[in-house]
Formats: sequence, structure tokens, C-alpha cells
Amino acid sequence: MARVAKSRGGGDVGFNMTPMIDIIFNLLIFFMLISQFEQLKIEPVTLPVSRAAEAKDPREYVNIVINIVKDPSSSYGGIVKIMSEVVSSDISRGIENSELAQLLIRKKETKGKRELNVILRADEDIAYEDVARVMLCAGRAGIEGWWITTTKPDKAL
Amino acid sequence: MRATSRKPGKVKIQPPMTPMIDVIFQLLIFFMLMPTQTSEGYLTTNLPRNEGPNPKPQIIDRDRIKIELVEEGAENQSVTIVLNDTLVLGSSFDGLEAALKGYRAQGLPPDYPVLIAPGMAVRHKWVVRAFDAAVLSRFTNIQFAVPG
Repeated sequence: MARVAKSRGGGDVGFNMTPMIDIIFNLLIFFMLISQFEQLKIEPVTLPVSRAAEAKDPREYVNIVINIVKDPSSSYGGIVKIMSEVVSSDISRGIENSELAQLLIRKKETKGKRELNVILRADEDIAYEDVARVMLCAGRAGIEGWWITTTKPDKAL
Repeated sequence: MRATSRKPGKVKIQPPMTPMIDVIFQLLIFFMLMPTQTSEGYLTTNLPRNEGPNPKPQIIDRDRIKIELVEEGAENQSVTIVLNDTLVLGSSFDGLEAALKGYRAQGLPPDYPVLIAPGMAVRHKWVVRAFDAAVLSRFTNIQFAVPG
């Protein structure tokens, strides 16, 4: 009777760690990028169209993103939002007493000597008055850099 | 006794999933980054700093080009452009750009002050169009009038 040779089993079964580390790095990069977009706190606005706008990388600067979204109760009023929180830009009691100016002054103080940049994301249909109030508050806080976010003409349709 | 020959059993071939998941993540990150980088741009300027011992004043009573925007129409949907308090350009921003390029052709330097003075009810998109026209005409010292 022929003997069927049996292979001697019992070799070590080990995990190949390289692909797992690879996937972990990918997940790390993915969540780092997600958190960066979250920090910008972009509100849904219809941006005005501009042919002269430049593509700049905001991450090279210390930025405050100020969104002005349309007020649903008004035909061209705006609501100022920073980090998804509504901030009042009412300057009737003086610019320095407005909630927005005080917030910007506090942010400037915490950043020390680093230059701050305001990135304005305002809806195209809001009145200039809302933008002017934000400008006054930013000027009062000593912030000079002012970026107006726009969209390119071929993306507007 | 006959030796029985055994057919070799079926071998399961499984494609390696790890590199496929890897590539899918790379594609996901790529397409997430692409839209935000290509659709938005920025118009940049400096605000007049009005705090501290040396506040920078706005352009007021100096030689400058003044672009006034006046709200028009129902619910201020339209705008009238007035250049240097004299030239009324209607609502043509192409006309404004041509006029500004004409000033540059006459020899005005790029840092010649340009003041954009919109009415408070003018829509933000018209203010951006005026700013656009000034930037495309290669002016670099552009400021906005704000209520004093």
C-alpha cells in the first residue's frame, strides 16, 4: 500500500504589516484634510463672479473666515457668521462696542505679532452696508489683510 | 491494488484587496481637494487701519479716481456707475474697465489711488465687479469707502 506522504504543517502564519500601515497612513491623511476643511467653516453662499481673482492658498496665512449669508427675512440683508456662530455687526453703539469688533480684537491679541487676514465669503446679493460694517470692525481691530472670495466665471453657471 | 490518483483540489484565487483600498482612498482625497482648489479665487486688498498711534486714513481729498456705484431699480437689483463725479457710465462695467484702462494708457501709475464708493444698498456683486475692473486695469492701490 502506497503511503501518502503528509506534509508537515505547523509553519508560522504571520500578518503582513506593510499594507496595514499603508492604510493607516491614508486614513490619517484623510481625517487631517477633513478637519482642515472643518476649520474653515464654509457656509453655503452664492459667491460673486470675478475674472481678476487669484487662486491663493489660505493655509499660508493666519486667517479669520467671515461668512455673510443671506437673511431669509430680508431681500438683501445679511447675517454675519464666524465658525458657524452668528455674530452681530451692529455698530450703532460705536464700532469698538460691536460684538464683531470685540471678537476680532480678541483674536488679534491672541495671535500676537502674527498678521491676521480676513477672508470674506459674502453672498453676491447682500447689500454693501453689511460688508462695510465688517470692514469697519476689522479696521478697528487693526487687521489689514482683506480677501474677498469669489468664483470664476465658468463655475458660476 | 491500484494507486488512486487524486485530482488536485480547486485553488481559490483572491485578488489582493489592500492595494485596491489604498488606490480608492487616494482617488477620494484627490477628488475632495480638486473642487475647492479650482472654483474659488480671492481679490485682495488692504483695509485702512484705524487704530493705534498711526492710523492709516482712507483716500479722501486727494487726487484719486473715484468710482461711485448708485443703486437702481426694484429692490436695488441694478446699479449706475459714476466715474470721478462726472462721467455716468450707466450699468456697463465693460465701459468702466475701458475708462480705467484709458487712464493707465494716459500714464497714471499703477499705485494711483482708486476709491470705490458704493451706496449702502448696492449689491455685493456690483462692488466686486467694480473692484474687478480696477484690478484688470492694473491698478494696485484700491480702497473702499465706508461710512465714517
